[in-house]
Amino acid sequence: MHTSSKLTKEFTKKWVKGLQICCSSKKNMDVLERKKKIKLCADIALASAKNATTSWSIALISEAKKDGENKILVDNLLGPKSPFKQQKTIPLMSTCHKRVRSKKILKRSCSVGQRMKKMGPPKSNLATYIAKRLVKKRTQVLQRLVPGGESMDEFSLIKEALDYILSLRVQVDVMRSLANAAEVSNQTDPNVFD
Amino acid sequence: MEKDKTFTSEGNGISQAWNPILGMGIQDSELNRNCFFNPNCEDQRDLFESALSSIVSSPVSSHPGIPIPGSADCIVLRELIGRLGSICNSSEISPHNSCYNTPLNSPPNLNLSITDHQIQGNYHPIPPAPFPTDPGFVERAARFSNFGGKNESFKAAGLGDSMEEPSVSETGTKEKSTNRRKRKVVPKGKGKETQSSTTISAKDDKVVAEVEKGESDAKRSKSNEKSTEPPKDYIHVRARRGQATDSHSLAERVRREKISERMKFLQDLVPGCNKVTGKAVMLDEIINYVQSLQRQVEFLSMKLATVNPRMDVNMEALLSKDMFRPLVSLPNNVSPFDASVQPFPYGLQSQINGMIPDGPENQISMNPLMAAMHRNSITKPPHIDGFGEASTLWENDLQSVVKMAIGQDQPQGFHGQMKVEL
Repeated sequence: MHTSSKLTKEFTKKWVKGLQICCSSKKNMDVLERKKKIKLCADIALASAKNATTSWSIALISEAKKDGENKILVDNLLGPKSPFKQQKTIPLMSTCHKRVRSKKILKRSCSVGQRMKKMGPPKSNLATYIAKRLVKKRTQVLQRLVPGGESMDEFSLIKEALDYILSLRVQVDVMRSLANAAEVSNQTDPNVFD
Repeated sequence: MEKDKTFTSEGNGISQAWNPILGMGIQDSELNRNCFFNPNCEDQRDLFESALSSIVSSPVSSHPGIPIPGSADCIVLRELIGRLGSICNSSEISPHNSCYNTPLNSPPNLNLSITDHQIQGNYHPIPPAPFPTDPGFVERAARFSNFGGKNESFKAAGLGDSMEEPSVSETGTKEKSTNRRKRKVVPKGKGKETQSSTTISAKDDKVVAEVEKGESDAKRSKSNEKSTEPPKDYIHVRARRGQATDSHSLAERVRREKISERMKFLQDLVPGCNKVTGKAVMLDEIINYVQSLQRQVEFLSMKLATVNPRMDVNMEALLSKDMFRPLVSLPNNVSPFDASVQPFPYGLQSQINGMIPDGPENQISMNPLMAAMHRNSITKPPHIDGFGEASTLWENDLQSVVKMAIGQDQPQGFHGQMKVEL
C-alpha cells in the first residue's frame, strides 16, 4: 500500500497547511463554521494530493473554486504551479453537454421501457428491463455521490469511484487519528486550550 | 427378498446377484427402484451398464418396465438416459461435435443431448453423443425433452445454427454460452457468421469466464430473483439486440469485460462484497460504502471542530504530539470507532508510517518511534478482534470507549502516563 501511505503524507501536510491558512483569517468562528472549514480543507487537501490525476479531484477543486470565499484558500493551498488551474473550465463544458445528452438518452430509454411494459413483453424481457433499470438507478445515485460523476460513463464512473473510495479512506483515517489525538491531549492537558 | 438382495449388495455385485431365473423384466424394474433410492450413486453406472445390455438385447421385455408415469420417475428416467448417454460417449468426443454441429441431420440425437444438459445441471457435465440403437430410447428421449421447459430455447438455438465450436464439450455452461452466441449471430445472417465466429471465438475465453460465472450463479439459485437475473439477462439483452455492425458488438463486449474487471477490483475494496455477484447489488454496496465514508468525514470534522476551539496553533502541536502518544493509543482507538467500516490493517499501518515524517513540524527522533510503531502494528490485530463489539458505542460513548481502549493497552514506555490519565 505504498500509494496510500504517500497519499496520507501528502494529505496530512496539505490539510494542516490549509487549516492554518483559514484559521489565521478569522479568530472567532462557531462550531458549524469551523466544521465546514475543516471539511473543506480536508477535501481540497485530498483532491490536491492527487495532483490532477483523477477527474473527481479536478471536479472537486473546481467546485470549491466556484465560491469566491474559498477561492483564495484554494489557490493558496494548491500553490503557484498547480495543474488544476488550467483544467478548470474544460470539465464544466463537457459536463453540461454530456449531462444534456445523457438526460436525453435516459428519457428515451425510460419511454421505451414504459412502452414495452404496456405491450406486455415476454417474461425474459421484463426481467432484463427491470434489471437494467435497477442498474441505471444505482449508477445515477453513484454519479451524484462521486464528485464530478455526472459527466462520466459507466466504466469510468466505476474507476473514479474506486479511486475516490481509496482517498476517502485515507482521509477518514487521518482525521480520525487527529481527532483521537486531540481527544487524548484534551484529557491529559485540559489547560492547553484555554 | 430379491429386492433386499439388490439393495444390500448394490454396485458391482448386483449383476451377479441377479438370479437368471427371475428374468429380464424383474431385473429392470428392480433396477429402476434402485434408481429411485440412489440417484446419485456412482454405482449406478454399473447398474446402467447391465441394464443397457439387458435392455438392448431384449427390447420387448424392457419396455413395460421402464416408462412408469409420475414426475419422480421422469426425473430418474432422465438421469437414466443421461447416464446411458454418458456411458456411450465417455470415450468419444468427435461424434458429439459432429452431432452438435449438424443438428438438422439427427434431431432425436440432439434432443437427447439437450436432455443431457438439463439433467446434468449439477453433475459433472458429460458430452452427449448419438445414441447408437434402440428407437425406444429415442422415443422416450423425445418425450422427456419436452419436460425441460426452462431450457427449451437451447433446442431452438441448437437447431438453427451451424457455427462450429471445437472446445464445446468441456462444460455445460460453456455450451450454453455458445448457444447464446449462436443466438446472437443468427439474426445477422449467414454471410457474416464465419467472420463473427472467428472474431468471437478469439474473445471466447474471457467471455466464457464471465458467462460461466453468471450462468453458474443463475443455475444454483434456480429462482427468478432479480439479483441473480441481471448479470445473465443483462448480457442476454446485449447479445440479442444485435448491434448494427460487428465492431459495435465487439466494443460492447470489451467494455463489459472492463467493467466486470473493475467490479472484481471493487469487490476487494468494498468490505463484504465477495459473495455478491450482479451489477445492481454491487453498485448498491459501493454506494453505501461511499455514503458511509462521507458521513464519517462529516462526523470527524464536526468532532474536530468541537474538540478544538482554536484550530491554528494546536494542529501543529497536536501533530507533533501525535508522534509521542497517540501512536500507542492509535491502534486501540481506531478499532472501536469502526462503526460501519471494517478495520483495515494495511491502511492503519501506512497511516502510522505516514504520520511520522510530517515535514518541519516534526522535532522528534525517528528511531524509538519507529520501533514503538512496529510493535504497535503487530499487537494491533488482536485488539481489533476484541473491540469489535465496542464499535456500536461509537457515536454515543466516545469518552468511555477511549478510556477503555487506553486502559487495556500495553503501552511501550508510556505506561506510567496512561495510568495517570485514567
